[in-house]
Amino acid sequence: MRKEIESVCILGGGTAGWMTAAALSHKFHGLPLSIRLIESEEIGTVGVGEATLPHIRSFNNTLNIDEATLMKETEATFKLGIEFCNWGRIGDRYLHPFGDFGPNVNGVPFYHFWLRLRALGDTSRLDEYSLPVMLAESTRFKFPDTDYSKIESTFRYAYQLDAGRYARFLRAYSERNGVVRTEGKVVETTLHPETGFVESVKLDRGEVVRADLFVDCSGFRGVLIEQALKAGYEDWSCWLPSNSAMAVACEGRGPLTPFTRATARKSGWQWRIPLQHRVGNGFVYCNDFVSDDEVAEVLLSNLEGPPLTTPKQLRFKTGRRRYFWYKNVVAIGLSGGFLEPLESTSIHLIQEGITELIQLFPTKEFHPADIDEYNRRMGLNFERVRDFILLHYVANQRDDGEMWLHYQNMKLPDSLQEKIAAWMTRGLIIKYEFGVFLPPSWISVLLGQNLFPRGYDRRADAAPEQMLVKNAADIRNEVRAAVRKTPDHRTFLSQIGAASGTAPLVAGGA
Amino acid sequence: MNTAGPPVERIAVCGGGLAGHLTTATLASQLPPSFQIAWIDAPSSPDSDVFYGSLTAPSAYTFNLEAGVSEPELLLSTNTAFSWGTKFVHWGGEHKSWIQCFHLPFPIVGGVLFHHYLKRFGVDELEPYLVSAAAANRGVFAHPLQDGPPILSRAEYAYQFDPFSYREAFAASPHMRRVQRIEGHLEGVERDERGIAALRLSDGRLHTADLYVDCTGTQARLLSHLCDTFAGNRRLCAASNHRATDRLGAPHRTLTGAEFGWQAETPLQRGTARLTVFAPESQTDALRAHGEAPQRSAEATIGSRAAAWVGNCVGIGHSAWVIEPVTHAPMLLLHRDIERLLSLIPFSTQMDFEGREFNRQSSEDYVHAAIFNRALFETPPFADTPYWRAAREEAVHEKLTQKLVQFDHRGVLVTFDLEPFNQEDWTILHYGMGRRPSRHDRVADRAPEAELRNSLANMKRNIENLVKQMPSHHDYMARLLGYLAQNRS
Repeated sequence: MRKEIESVCILGGGTAGWMTAAALSHKFHGLPLSIRLIESEEIGTVGVGEATLPHIRSFNNTLNIDEATLMKETEATFKLGIEFCNWGRIGDRYLHPFGDFGPNVNGVPFYHFWLRLRALGDTSRLDEYSLPVMLAESTRFKFPDTDYSKIESTFRYAYQLDAGRYARFLRAYSERNGVVRTEGKVVETTLHPETGFVESVKLDRGEVVRADLFVDCSGFRGVLIEQALKAGYEDWSCWLPSNSAMAVACEGRGPLTPFTRATARKSGWQWRIPLQHRVGNGFVYCNDFVSDDEVAEVLLSNLEGPPLTTPKQLRFKTGRRRYFWYKNVVAIGLSGGFLEPLESTSIHLIQEGITELIQLFPTKEFHPADIDEYNRRMGLNFERVRDFILLHYVANQRDDGEMWLHYQNMKLPDSLQEKIAAWMTRGLIIKYEFGVFLPPSWISVLLGQNLFPRGYDRRADAAPEQMLVKNAADIRNEVRAAVRKTPDHRTFLSQIGAASGTAPLVAGGA
Repeated sequence: MNTAGPPVERIAVCGGGLAGHLTTATLASQLPPSFQIAWIDAPSSPDSDVFYGSLTAPSAYTFNLEAGVSEPELLLSTNTAFSWGTKFVHWGGEHKSWIQCFHLPFPIVGGVLFHHYLKRFGVDELEPYLVSAAAANRGVFAHPLQDGPPILSRAEYAYQFDPFSYREAFAASPHMRRVQRIEGHLEGVERDERGIAALRLSDGRLHTADLYVDCTGTQARLLSHLCDTFAGNRRLCAASNHRATDRLGAPHRTLTGAEFGWQAETPLQRGTARLTVFAPESQTDALRAHGEAPQRSAEATIGSRAAAWVGNCVGIGHSAWVIEPVTHAPMLLLHRDIERLLSLIPFSTQMDFEGREFNRQSSEDYVHAAIFNRALFETPPFADTPYWRAAREEAVHEKLTQKLVQFDHRGVLVTFDLEPFNQEDWTILHYGMGRRPSRHDRVADRAPEAELRNSLANMKRNIENLVKQMPSHHDYMARLLGYLAQNRS
């Protein structure tokens, strides 16, 4: 018997399903491996997140996808980071950029020197040392320079895109690569009597689909991983109690911003994701603190333009599947776990799930060590994203409402507790190697939400003050000069041939 | 800024060995002038520095610069030489030989690690594709430079050193001028609820500080009063000698396995150092093999103290851990200890967080370095003698099991956060120990065979051609020293 996996069946055709199909069909192209994707037109997809992280570019690049074409077809815009409004106190705002704040000096991160300057009375914002923040504030964009000696190289970027169109784009890509799409709903799953592996699924039209490996991208329901295999769910509502979201698109107003916005409100937070032809909005909340009706009212009264759709309601439970990979089923996407889209991690966690699956791609023997290693890596990814999201809710000065009080009284995971202690004691970020958010991300949220450390790295006091003041001014000037040389975001989209040309959508569907 | 207690401004470093030198020089170079740094000698088991071995980590270049010691100064003022790594000879029951060299990341083709292609084509050896191994084998050296030959720029180098000479470059660092050298030496410590209240000196005086750094070696003359729990029971002895030679030998040390343990020959400027490491039970055999009466010798327990930082006292190097110098683990850990201390110099006498974080990082580093060493004693057979038995009786950490299983089974490198040894170190070690993946990554099958075989063949040939043109370690060093001496005067 051949040991290599010969057939993969992906269940579900949302973002997760088609990203998986596209990546597997590309990576294993030319090898004897058949890939089938089952999806049903009747089951809607959630479209987990429309804002992405810079890592998506390496995913697309690996697949040889042309950037301008992709952007045109998905109505995509560039993203330099996320603007957080009202998170520290009502009226505050800060930007979490994809890039560092100033250059390291003798191995000591720049923000320690900024903390020293601040203690000396300097009033410059840390943002002034970050090119992506300054670009975002002036709604400008261009590609980062590849010459690492230039300040223009000091940022990364991602996209805001229409996730439904991204899935369709990847579907066409996958089908060209030989992936077979089957329309249908799973009505029955057959397990091997001894091993308990999934042998086949039966579709509503009677067809039986067998495969060596199943990838469950069926969304929250987890048709294979949970309904059939009962892998179990680790509930994280004790930390992140939000269990609902309401989404609505509206007409865009004003300049096209190269960033996503997340605005904290009394009982939840609202997102704003600008695409070329419309703006996506949504509200994430917990039913314990606010009713659906109230949320609909708040959401609709806080749109920049008339709504294009009626609000769509979603329910979820924050947490992760106890085993992302169990027997011969790998859960990718919402079937693997859910974390609210505050930091645009949904698509990223799908991408990690796929990358690790390819690295640890099994044989028909399904070596337990592969499964353990996959689960270890993905568990770490989820946990570290969880801590980072939770940080936003707990590192602030808000006490207006039951939700904020709930977070104030919470016992944090030890990993997060120690991270905050390290910061408050001495401005230290406890580093890790595996996990998506690097120290600059933590710094931007902590400082953006007014958590100023009691001290900074003592080596930052070594340089003479005058020299420090001059170096800092030089960096600020360099950033300002780079901003002036950068075109407007929408202009740049046209320049590189990424403008879709779609007329802005208007309410009433004219 | 921090008002939780009296500020930390006075640091006392205790111990005049290698750790004391490196720590004091680095603190003096990196800390603001407001700090008072005092340095107190503590003569106790002075020879235990032989357990730092004879090979630094590639990080030494940058580390030393931060301590105010440039490479030219180091080469001119000590007997330090260049190193591509360690050549293991007769290792284990199958007498394996390989070069554990330093290398930047191997080429990745189509998202797949290099060794999967070797596996696919049935190529059993990694070494011909490693420029640092090839140069070591030929005894040649040249600095890997960004704008030099591209093949050579993939190599990394460290130093071959003698702990008793190497440290002199740090003593001579210009930053040392700000350090207050305390006359007399340590007699004992006075304790209080913060940890250490004062150091009692040989002339009866007391020296007080806000933070005490214990660099007194295996005796941990400060830290042992605050934490006497030491995890580890494997005893090892080390003996070293220095023999003068006319020519500088190869830029690698040669470490030969034996029934009693092992013996390393390390070429240095103007001589060769011999280091023999053995189980105490095999002393007679080991010393016979060592050849001459040891100039320096020490005995130590391999392991680590339960806490490196207790109260107002932090242990750096051997006062906190002893790791076998069979790899460059000791110097790697020493560098990291000192860098960690710098990043955690407390503000006030309220230093609970700093201690906790130091201990967390240092115990992780120790575990990660220890599993690398432990991996040298996996994949039998091994001799049934006290040294090999004791080494193999050390528990195999779960992380090591994961690494070994995944590599053996499919060539995947399981990696944990911020390990001191990198993926290349591990790959070279696996290959050296005769571990080969039982299958390769399927994605490696996609690359066209003829083209890839061709590029592998080219890679090997280019490396062979390059090292043929490189100067011998001896000639390179002679010319470099001549040039440096001329420019200095």
